[in-house]
Amino acid sequence: MFFTCLRRELRRRGKAALVVASGLALGIALVIVVNSVSRGMSRAQDEVLQSLYGLGTDMSVTKAAAPPSKGGQRPRFRFEAKDDGSEDTQSSDLVMTQGFATLPASTVTEVAGQKGVSSAVGGLSLDVVKVSGQFTRGRIRQDGGEQRGGPGGGPGGGPPARIEGGGADFDVNHYTVYGTDVTRPELGPLTSSKITSGRGFRTSETNARVAVADAAYAKEKKLEVGSTVTIKDVTYEVIGIATASSGDAAANLYIPLKQAQTLSGEKDKVTTIYVKATDSQQLDTVKSAIQKNVPGTTVTTSSDLAKTVSGSLSTAAELATGVGTWLSAAVLVAAFLIAGLLTSSAVSRRVREFGTLKALGWTSGRVTRQVVGEAVVNGLAGGALGIALGLAGAYLVTAVGPVLQAQLGGPLGGMGGPVGGAGGPGGGRAVLGGGPGGPGTTSLEVALTAPVSATTIALAVGLAVTGGLIAGAFGGWRAARLRPADALRRVD
Amino acid sequence: MYELRGVTKRYVRGKDAVQALDGIDLTIGDGDRLVVQGPTGGGKSTLLQMLGGLDRPTSGEVVLDGIDLASLSEARLTRVRSEHIGFVFQSFNLIPTLTAQENVETALVPLGVRAAERRARAAEALESVGLGERLTHLPGEMSGGQQQRVAIARALVKRPKVLLADEPTGNLDESTRDEIMDVLERMWKEHGLTFVMVTHDSALARKASRLVTIRQGRITVEENTGA
Ligand SMILES: Nc1ncnc2c1ncn2[C@@H]1O[C@H](COP(=O)(O)OP(=O)(O)OP(=O)(O)O)[C@@H](O)[C@H]1O
Ligand SMILES: [Mg+2]
Repeated sequence: MFFTCLRRELRRRGKAALVVASGLALGIALVIVVNSVSRGMSRAQDEVLQSLYGLGTDMSVTKAAAPPSKGGQRPRFRFEAKDDGSEDTQSSDLVMTQGFATLPASTVTEVAGQKGVSSAVGGLSLDVVKVSGQFTRGRIRQDGGEQRGGPGGGPGGGPPARIEGGGADFDVNHYTVYGTDVTRPELGPLTSSKITSGRGFRTSETNARVAVADAAYAKEKKLEVGSTVTIKDVTYEVIGIATASSGDAAANLYIPLKQAQTLSGEKDKVTTIYVKATDSQQLDTVKSAIQKNVPGTTVTTSSDLAKTVSGSLSTAAELATGVGTWLSAAVLVAAFLIAGLLTSSAVSRRVREFGTLKALGWTSGRVTRQVVGEAVVNGLAGGALGIALGLAGAYLVTAVGPVLQAQLGGPLGGMGGPVGGAGGPGGGRAVLGGGPGGPGTTSLEVALTAPVSATTIALAVGLAVTGGLIAGAFGGWRAARLRPADALRRVD
Repeated sequence: MYELRGVTKRYVRGKDAVQALDGIDLTIGDGDRLVVQGPTGGGKSTLLQMLGGLDRPTSGEVVLDGIDLASLSEARLTRVRSEHIGFVFQSFNLIPTLTAQENVETALVPLGVRAAERRARAAEALESVGLGERLTHLPGEMSGGQQQRVAIARALVKRPKVLLADEPTGNLDESTRDEIMDVLERMWKEHGLTFVMVTHDSALARKASRLVTIRQGRITVEENTGA
């Protein structure tokens, strides 16, 4: 009879049930979407961090911040001025270490020797600016307007910027090169890319003239396996194409570390040391150990880096975790309350019905069970509806995939800062950081997704049952209090 | 057999108190047919509630077959209702979402009757009130007279000792009224019930073996020798 009554009630008075269910559904759908979007946010943040760091890296070590240099290392191009009418094309590659701050290679061993460090690998990030074209007379006119940088900002903002000075017709090309320790392929930025054609470095190729190109860059420059690239008069054979598994690639080109050191004239130097800790829960201890025992270094953990993420990504993440959580909690509480009150008022409207059943000898317990049963089924229906709505919402977010901007660096940036200028190699779409003293920010774009996890679904089902029970408690409390004499009440 | 001694019922609502029943002494024998009359607000329904164990008196005893309903626990009182007392209400009080048969079945649920037997007995009871063809109809799909027949079937399906009816024809038109009274009379005879009915209909009252009139909570009993 329990199920007969239940079925009949839901079928014949489905509208009232639907109202209760929809309220719950709305709350539950909101929880699912907010939950999934937050998950998407943190995934996006992870992506951003991963593309800078590589997989498995717990922290990076860079040279400690030093006072901005007085332009001593400012890039300088040298061209021979030609007579008017000369058609000769000249080109010059300027190879700079990113952030102009390097550590001796011996630091890598020193860091590796610290307690809690599982492994440490050094790498050298280079910015290469290639200027080529015809130069007849006059000088390169540097347009500092686009530069956010301080004094002596590098040449033109984004590649390729054409500078046409008085009598000059030049192309300026900027790209990034990462010198990787080919003997240690398990750590470093290249781990966040997959070799999608050709091959990766062999551990024996410590000083070979081979390069791996990032897929996006390779496409732009029409590079493929077997092509050659020339950096500062040195020709490299492209042996593989690497595709960043998420976000942007760490660099445009990867070459063996020794080659990078030679190109930049930074013999036995590295810009960044990638560190893997033995215990990922002990990162702070390891960080302070390195900072104390290896002087002149700055250690940045992934959580430090996460704190420097700004831009619409972090705004959205804050929204999702802050406003989103509050909003869904508020809607849920409201939905629970409304479901409870509606159920209770439904019982009030059915006073005579339940009074009659009591007059017929139904116990209070049986009547209450009926009411609670109805409410729980209602709750589950609301849950199912809410899960459907929530999945649709999450799917929509993923399908639309709003693009979020993430700026890394900012407060910690600057010359020699741990992240910005001297930090990890910038992404493929990285905006070239300003010259010395400029705010060393890196900007990345990530598409937002809203992955729905099994935990989220379980949470939704739990909430549906809870909502049903709360509604049932309201209604059941009311029903239990009815007297059999209420059967005689005139309510119509 | 009913034995009421000094039954009073006071309803207290805030500062107001209503003395609905004021020292009722009454004996009802097995198989009696008792008609209760009186002005509105006189206490007729209240008396029926006391007889049916729907409510407890403020003081006094309501003894049914040697058991004082006034002093029973809620659980035992519920059990007495489920086993021995059938109710018919003025406004039928059917569950609108259930079919005629399911409505009748609700009376057998607290007795723990198995589903198949429940269905069979409900069908049989509906047959006996002339609704054998309407088992699957909803209350909303039936006339008032038909609904009240379903209610009578529901009251009698468990074969109670007592049938209590509170203005069973109050919501019906004249022709249907006679029809329902005929059914009730037939049932009373067939089942050997103790039958207490509240009614405003004085024509019906004349047919009763005993006539009770309640005014302001006090009763006067007339023996009807002509019945
Ligand atoms: N639950 C209650 N709370 C307060 N007062 C009540 C309650 N039930 C009945 N009364 C009062 O008790 C008195 C008797 O009521 P009762 O319903 O027994 O009258 P009645 O004779 O059945 O009247 P009617 O012919 O109108 O049905 C009335 O004054 C009524 O207002
Ligand atoms: Mg009455």
